[in-house]
Amino acid sequence: MLSQRFLPWDYGVRNLFRRPMRSALTLGGLTIVILLVLVVVGFIRGLEKSLSATGNPHVVLVYSLSSAADVENSSIPARTPSLISASVEGVSRQQGVEFVSPELYLGTRISTANMTEPGMGLVRGVTTTAALVRDHVQLVEGTWPQTGEVMVGRLAHSKLGADEEDLAIGQQVTFDGQTWTISGHFTAAGSAFESEIWAPLADLQTTLKRQDLSLVAVRMDSPDAIADVDLFCRERIDLELKAVSESAYYASLQKHYKPVRMLGWLVVALVAGSGIFAGLNTMYGAVVGRIRELATLQAIGFRRRAILLTLIQEATLLACAGALVACVVGLFLVDGAAVRFTMGAFMLKVDSVGIAIACGVAVLLGFVGALPPAVKAMRMPVVEAIKSI
Amino acid sequence: MSLVNVTNVTKEFANGEETIRPLDGVSLSIDEGDFISLMGASGSGKSTLLNLIAGIDQVTSGQIEVAGTDITKLSRGKLADWRARHIGYIFQTHNLIPVLTAYENVELPLLLLPMSAAERRKRVEIALEAVDLTSRASHYPRQMSGGQEQRVGIARAIVANPTVVVADEPTGSLDDETTEQILHLLERVNNELGMTLLLVTHEADVGARAKRQIRLEHSHLFEQGKEIKTAQLRMA
Ligand SMILES: Nc1ncnc2c1ncn2[C@@H]1O[C@H](COP(=O)(O)OP(=O)(O)OP(=O)(O)O)[C@@H](O)[C@H]1O
Ligand SMILES: [Mg+2]
Repeated sequence: MLSQRFLPWDYGVRNLFRRPMRSALTLGGLTIVILLVLVVVGFIRGLEKSLSATGNPHVVLVYSLSSAADVENSSIPARTPSLISASVEGVSRQQGVEFVSPELYLGTRISTANMTEPGMGLVRGVTTTAALVRDHVQLVEGTWPQTGEVMVGRLAHSKLGADEEDLAIGQQVTFDGQTWTISGHFTAAGSAFESEIWAPLADLQTTLKRQDLSLVAVRMDSPDAIADVDLFCRERIDLELKAVSESAYYASLQKHYKPVRMLGWLVVALVAGSGIFAGLNTMYGAVVGRIRELATLQAIGFRRRAILLTLIQEATLLACAGALVACVVGLFLVDGAAVRFTMGAFMLKVDSVGIAIACGVAVLLGFVGALPPAVKAMRMPVVEAIKSI
Repeated sequence: MSLVNVTNVTKEFANGEETIRPLDGVSLSIDEGDFISLMGASGSGKSTLLNLIAGIDQVTSGQIEVAGTDITKLSRGKLADWRARHIGYIFQTHNLIPVLTAYENVELPLLLLPMSAAERRKRVEIALEAVDLTSRASHYPRQMSGGQEQRVGIARAIVANPTVVVADEPTGSLDDETTEQILHLLERVNNELGMTLLLVTHEADVGARAKRQIRLEHSHLFEQGKEIKTAQLRMA
């Protein structure tokens, strides 16, 4: 039978209860650190999800060549949809209906009944084909908007900075000098559409006194067919169009937000770094008060490795307890919290990746926090340490 | 061949410019079943010699052989393993682990040895009975008196049936009555359990209880008024 050579698991656990107050305070500190990590990772993950869920590789966006990457500035002729259906093969169709969605898209000031000041919102004028092309958009409540009506995404209130009740069905919103009644609510699988307000295209055009479109979204039978749309745009120089697959469009937006994500990761690193000091502080305290005890263990015959391990166990246990509390709090309070952002609103996401990162940070905090004080204690000769008070 | 052979051991400490040499080529042999007291003035080097024999300090030169192993040649890790097997250490201030019960403190050295849990339990029970603390097995050190704590310390030192039990001023912080109890207990450990004992003390009456009395003076060892010489050892 092999000898155990390690200190009993209980030894590490009970040591945590030796100074309950100090352990509790450290636990609190570590919990906050890990919760912060969870929030920042949730922010990054939410942002990434809202952008990546939006792009469908079958869908191609056609908008004006001069508008750079921003469809809000795009203006294309109203006849573009029919020209595309007539000239390009491979457009999806069902029972004679082509999956071509002409859209007018703009950011504008929107006010609700209870708002003192209008908020910036995103409005999309659509026809019923929009539902075919954007097939992840789902009406969850109410009806598709008729004349004078709009339907709102489930995060539109966050984007506007309005209360959720203000956008209940039957409530009214005002923009561009026109009052609209809310007819329904939609979701869009976490994509950017969820922060938009959709109105009937013809209505919106009348209100805005515009005959043009911002873009045409076309759903193709296969992602390869997008090349044909691209070819069409290149041949019809006179229309000044460009075709970009929807996934490429949002991927380029993601690139746009790269600095924000980098900043997020930097914050994670800084917060984790400050957590290490909390851990270090506690473990220094725990080890300094125990020099003689640790030397006694060595005199009895425990190897330094075994003692190092029990100190790391203590710190890691504490950090993992912090991670557990933080994840529970995170799942209840952080997950799903909506964040307003320039391009729309999105939800903080506490998913397996966030939890894995939080737990990883916890283990790191315990390990890195325990190592220097433990090594310092182990460096001291046993004969000297055994005399210390 | 004796159980413990200390041969020509010198120990030096560098103290800034000057060098302190509490042990200057000392030799000593301890036989199985011996009960030796080591006395001397404060700062003479008693603890230093005891710690060298216990394998928690390193000699400057010389050789220490315990049960056939030259421990001055062992690496740090090997030396730790060796201590677990061969040394029982009784400290002046018992040095019990505060978060462990009396039972768990006594069990600690056994965790380092290959044995079944049942065997472990049996040995801990015997050791606790030897120090008459069976009824306190589940108590924590803070719930016990100084004398009881020291008895747990003794149980912990003998539980693994070590080759040598060393004790550095085990009664140094106890009152007369408790000192007597502990000395009586140590005598029983030597007589009844047959364990080899090395006791460091600066109190003459405590030292007088041992079978052999050794004095450490001016970095040299004396027994019955005569210096212990390597040559004598060799002839013996
Ligand atoms: N780590 C060290 N560094 C420098 N000098 C030391 C060290 N350890 C011990 N000494 C010196 O070595 C000498 C012997 O010390 P030791 O502790 O062995 O004495 P002792 O006989 O046990 O004394 P006491 O009865 O007071 O316990 C002393 O002069 C002490 O100052
Ligand atoms: Mg001493």
